[in-house]
Amino acid sequence: MENNFFILLTAFMPLFTALATLLLVTYNKAQRWVGLIGGLLTWASSLIVLGQVLDIGIQTYRMGGYVPPYGIVLVADNLSALFAVMGSTVMLAGLMYVLQSREKSVTYPTFLPLFLFMETGLLGAMLTGDLFTFFVFLELMVLSSVAMVAISDNPFGLEAAIKYVFISGMGSLFLLLGIAAMYTTFGTLNLADMAQQLATGDRPLLARSAAIMLMSSFLLKSAVFPFHFWQPDFHTTAPTAVSAMLSSVIVKVGIYMIIRTLTLLFTEEAAQLQQLLIVLGIVGIFFGSLAALRTYNGKRVLAYSTIAQVGFILVAIGWGTPVALAAAIVYAFNHAFIKSSLLMIMGLVASRSYEHSVDFVDIEGAGRMMPPLIGILWFLGSMSLAGVPPMNGFISKLGIVQSGVELGQWIPLGLAVSSGALTLLYMFRTWQRVFQQKKEVKLKILAYGDGMIAPTFLIAICILLGIYARPLVIIAEQTALQISDPQIYIDAVRLFSGG
Amino acid sequence: MSIIDFFYSLTLGALFAIGVFQLLRRDLIKSVMGFGLLFTGVNLFLLASGAFRGEVAPYTTNYEAGAQTSDPIVQALILTAVVVSFGSYALLLAMVNIASRRYGTVDSDEITNLTK
Repeated sequence: MENNFFILLTAFMPLFTALATLLLVTYNKAQRWVGLIGGLLTWASSLIVLGQVLDIGIQTYRMGGYVPPYGIVLVADNLSALFAVMGSTVMLAGLMYVLQSREKSVTYPTFLPLFLFMETGLLGAMLTGDLFTFFVFLELMVLSSVAMVAISDNPFGLEAAIKYVFISGMGSLFLLLGIAAMYTTFGTLNLADMAQQLATGDRPLLARSAAIMLMSSFLLKSAVFPFHFWQPDFHTTAPTAVSAMLSSVIVKVGIYMIIRTLTLLFTEEAAQLQQLLIVLGIVGIFFGSLAALRTYNGKRVLAYSTIAQVGFILVAIGWGTPVALAAAIVYAFNHAFIKSSLLMIMGLVASRSYEHSVDFVDIEGAGRMMPPLIGILWFLGSMSLAGVPPMNGFISKLGIVQSGVELGQWIPLGLAVSSGALTLLYMFRTWQRVFQQKKEVKLKILAYGDGMIAPTFLIAICILLGIYARPLVIIAEQTALQISDPQIYIDAVRLFSGG
Repeated sequence: MSIIDFFYSLTLGALFAIGVFQLLRRDLIKSVMGFGLLFTGVNLFLLASGAFRGEVAPYTTNYEAGAQTSDPIVQALILTAVVVSFGSYALLLAMVNIASRRYGTVDSDEITNLTK
């Protein structure tokens, strides 16, 4: 279909909601409810888009009615629609958490508009079919998340935010250089048009260097091993609702774009780039897991764990067969729910502790005095992250193992699986220190704290995706088949051809 | 290569060099300045990819037949990129301003030492 209104709605509904919440800055309560309703509408429309994509095929929306490649086009194929559903679901849970959060920064009148601008950037970046529009959405996402970290309750949020703007600015710089190089070479910014010219014509050196520049900026945005150093500080000091989003869905934009560019644009260079991704992934898995083991802060453990989990996804992308790509997509989808729920649960603990901190010295044994639901949720979440059945983490690990066995890639597979044991180790270490240990000195615990609806919702999705995993796996397999042939995407966009 | 191309590439290289050098300084305000210079360099690189192909302005009716127009897309791109980079530049300066009041210094090493 040429003009699917729901794609536009998915990408721009958060923007309209953000503007509405900006008008309501003096009415704190109304503002939050409007934000939640906007999140719900976005969620519903992203689900409708996914349903239509699975039923009818790839959907597009031509902005302003111009024919691509002359106009900007929003494209929802299986991959974009699936990632958009992931993003809008986790963001909806984030809005629920905001509604019940007791942090000071969350009550600032501009917090909610910024949160919704971040959602606009996230969904827009995943749905656009145009490289420069992707850059604009990405910058919107980065700048609004930076502003939210800078106003965090933690006094060092500002330091992490400044650090991140510099590093992310360098990433955007290379992205823009890559876009300029692609435009100079092909005279177009439309992804489908570029793919068509790359498939038929020769490959000038400038296009190859553009591949490297684009890839390095995507790796930086998803905090892969050599570009990871900003990530733990940035994700730990953010307000809980924001850090849950940053560590789960925001890092997936880079993953999404890596999959997209490797399968659509740089299909010939893919083999070399994928070798690199496997190595970076393995190093990232071990670095993240070992660093998480020697960290004494509940949120920091999870931030380092994100580096490790992104490594798993990269290894699967590096193998590159349809089975492995499906495994990578399932892994990315499941990890978003697990990680966001775990960070929210750490936020619950922090909001009930007297110092509002998650340093192990402050909250050692604090879990015993809190509502037992928190401990149960944390246990389920950490089981899921470690890949224990029947949670959804098991399904994603199973996909990785299956594709590795099929390819006979024994060394990377062995390393990846053995580091799964490390995941179990650091998650249970945290569980034991926070929720099991008894302390002689009487701890002071606040009787009230953040609400538990959002993490319960996410953990319920985790259990559901673990027990009833079949639909997700089937969709992921279809997606992997669809993106393995760039021609399907090119045909669906229906470029202007003469006349 | 015409003379303008030569000086253009020279300026571009100089902007990148100065930008990277300033970005690596310890003083946060100087780093922010370097950030601005680097983004200007990238915008000029974007301009170079389309500006010198034609001789006359596009979308005007009073040019002679056969004259080649310059590419308007890069100019639209730069307009957007300038807005984005200006936004992040202003945000960074505002954050450095608050940081100088909150931590009492704009030296990045000293601020890093505070966090430990």
